[in-house]
Amino acid sequence: MSVALKSWRANEGPKHLIMMFWIAVNVFLFWRTFMLYFSGAQYYYLHKMLGLGLCISRASASVLNFNCSLVLLPMFRSLLTFLRGSQRVTGRCVRRLLDKSKTFHVACGVTICVFSVVHVSAHLVNMVSFSVRYSEDFPALNVAQYRGQDPRILIISTVPGVTGVLLVLVLFLMFTASSYCIRVSSYEIFWYTHNLFIVFYIILMLHVAGGALKYQSNVEAHPPGCTHNNLSSWTNHKAAGEKGAEFSGAPQTVCQEEAHFQPHFPQFCMYIYMYMIISRCLYCAEWLYRFIRSSTAPVTIVSVVSHPCDVVELRMLMSGFKPRPGQYILLNCPSVSSFENHPFTLTTCPTGKNETFGVHLRVLGDWTSRFSQLLLQKSNSSEILPMMQQRRYPTVHVDGPFGSPSEEVFNYEVSLCVAGGIGVTPFACVLQALFDDWRQYKLRRLYFVWVCRDLQSFYWFADLLCGLRERLWRDNRPDYLNVQLYLSNTQGLQSIGEERYRFLSSRLRIGRPKWKLLFQEIRRANQLKRVGVFCCGPKGISKALHTLCNSNPHTGTAFEYNKETFS
Amino acid sequence: MGKIEWAMWANEQALAAGLIYATGGIVGVAGQFRGWQFACFGIAAGVFVCLLEYPRSKRGKGTSVERTGQYCFTVCVKAFGPLTRNYYVRAFLHAALCVPGGFMLATVLGCVCLGIGSLIYLSAAIHGEHWEPILPRREPPKRVGDSIKEPPQNPPPRPPPEHRRKKADKLEAAAYDNPMSVTVNE
Repeated sequence: MSVALKSWRANEGPKHLIMMFWIAVNVFLFWRTFMLYFSGAQYYYLHKMLGLGLCISRASASVLNFNCSLVLLPMFRSLLTFLRGSQRVTGRCVRRLLDKSKTFHVACGVTICVFSVVHVSAHLVNMVSFSVRYSEDFPALNVAQYRGQDPRILIISTVPGVTGVLLVLVLFLMFTASSYCIRVSSYEIFWYTHNLFIVFYIILMLHVAGGALKYQSNVEAHPPGCTHNNLSSWTNHKAAGEKGAEFSGAPQTVCQEEAHFQPHFPQFCMYIYMYMIISRCLYCAEWLYRFIRSSTAPVTIVSVVSHPCDVVELRMLMSGFKPRPGQYILLNCPSVSSFENHPFTLTTCPTGKNETFGVHLRVLGDWTSRFSQLLLQKSNSSEILPMMQQRRYPTVHVDGPFGSPSEEVFNYEVSLCVAGGIGVTPFACVLQALFDDWRQYKLRRLYFVWVCRDLQSFYWFADLLCGLRERLWRDNRPDYLNVQLYLSNTQGLQSIGEERYRFLSSRLRIGRPKWKLLFQEIRRANQLKRVGVFCCGPKGISKALHTLCNSNPHTGTAFEYNKETFS
Repeated sequence: MGKIEWAMWANEQALAAGLIYATGGIVGVAGQFRGWQFACFGIAAGVFVCLLEYPRSKRGKGTSVERTGQYCFTVCVKAFGPLTRNYYVRAFLHAALCVPGGFMLATVLGCVCLGIGSLIYLSAAIHGEHWEPILPRREPPKRVGDSIKEPPQNPPPRPPPEHRRKKADKLEAAAYDNPMSVTVNE
């Protein structure tokens, strides 16, 4: 299949560019630090003692520094939401890059793990070198107390050693709990271990401040390799032997004074601290802002509706809450679990006529089943209570709103929205916004494809779809909305029988959609346009759509792919 | 909080710990550290733990995602029966394997990580979990609907041949008009 350059450039180009740039910075940092320790004059004696282990460990440390500062940045949800919303400041290219923030976080995390392995291995070699090559000439340079000291004692007795071991353990716990499998099966393990990053950063500050590696501070007065009358034979031999190689042509200099060594802290470490302190402070500030915002504003539950196929619709009211269509919120219910926050896409946004906002939640795991039980419990008393006391809903806290790729639907002239099952929720909000006022948006045509396994699922938004269709028909725009419903479960005879849903039943097809035909149809009807493709559903569908977006022969239609993910 | 599957996390930890153990062993042997014999043991133990932990267990409820190419490992691990099924055995095995790593510098980290994994396995065993192999499901052969049991063996019943032939004198009783005239004994 031929790869269309225009689509590929729009879909993959910026992402790969940023990746290249990030890899280049990492390589540059590694190389620069490596060469500094390999051939820098102030590290001459240290390099002689430790060899290549010194260079590799310090170079990997600088890469680790860089990535530890960067890894927190994609997790500033409020900042990213703000950037997404400020359409005058950032272009669509930048906003689409913000969709990839989680991927970038994972890339930084994996780099941290890989380079930690390199760093630890190099330092193990250094420990042995410190022990075996104990230097009597420059006692200030040593970490060991005597020649041949057990390297394990060195680890336990030095601050960098102990903090290093603790850091590896914390990283081990965080890394092993972050695989896809664990996130899907027990999200709590992932969440609680990942919050150990606070401990990680505190220990990291101490690790850097250790000061085990020293540099020579008086290089001008004592050029490395110079001879001294009282020096032992070791240095004299070395200096004599390397005279030709390192100081080619230069006469053997005499030292004016003894070599002085100083640990790096505090001068050198300042700029390391700077990166980490800035990112930590920003993260704490953002966390505090979100915490205050979510706990001070009271949330009232207005109504709870139970839908078929284990879906519960929750309508809430909160003052000063102004989300945009397509955004999501984090719900926290202290009666179920104090520390868990679960993301749900908003299905209804507050408008001028109706101030409530709503979410549809599918009851799948233990949190949602407990929460829906609390919401739907019927009062058991037989007497008729007044309206106020009849329903006691649990308190909830709402954190958000946070941005998601689905906000871009309105910024294309033609959009294709593909939803799988409960993944229809971001698009439900879009449809609701169109129902309120479709004229204010740039969007001219919307293709809506909804694939479900169960026929009853279509009833979640059947009224909304039919209502929107009616509205557009009355406004003389019948071609604005193209709906295709697919039922992937082909067993048995199924159809939507109700008269008022005739619009949907005539668009219901049994079987899986044929994406190629759909794309061909869209291409033919919208030539030379830029079509936004939005997918919220299972991996199989999103992969198929992604490939089709990038392969686009012959016509000038470009398909820009936007994927919505949660966990 | 709901039922947490400890075994899944313990499996990831043990796999990572096995890799760390083996890497530490390689560094120890390559650098010829003091006590490099323990490093050799570290490599062997690390590889063994990786092979044992590679096949994922089937989840109690929900879909299990298996690792790439884990089927042959599943078959090997399944062959050991209750030894590999029981998580108490695994917990004690990992604890025993990790102890020699503590005697040598390069394998100390592997020892600690494998020790943590062993503790989590103990927790999983106390919660009553056990290892289940993920075996490929054989698709049941596509069954046609129940109403079609067998195709009919016999043709539909017809009257005997004498009654089938249209008699010329009974043309009026015939249900349709013949396109050609019917003559007797044709």
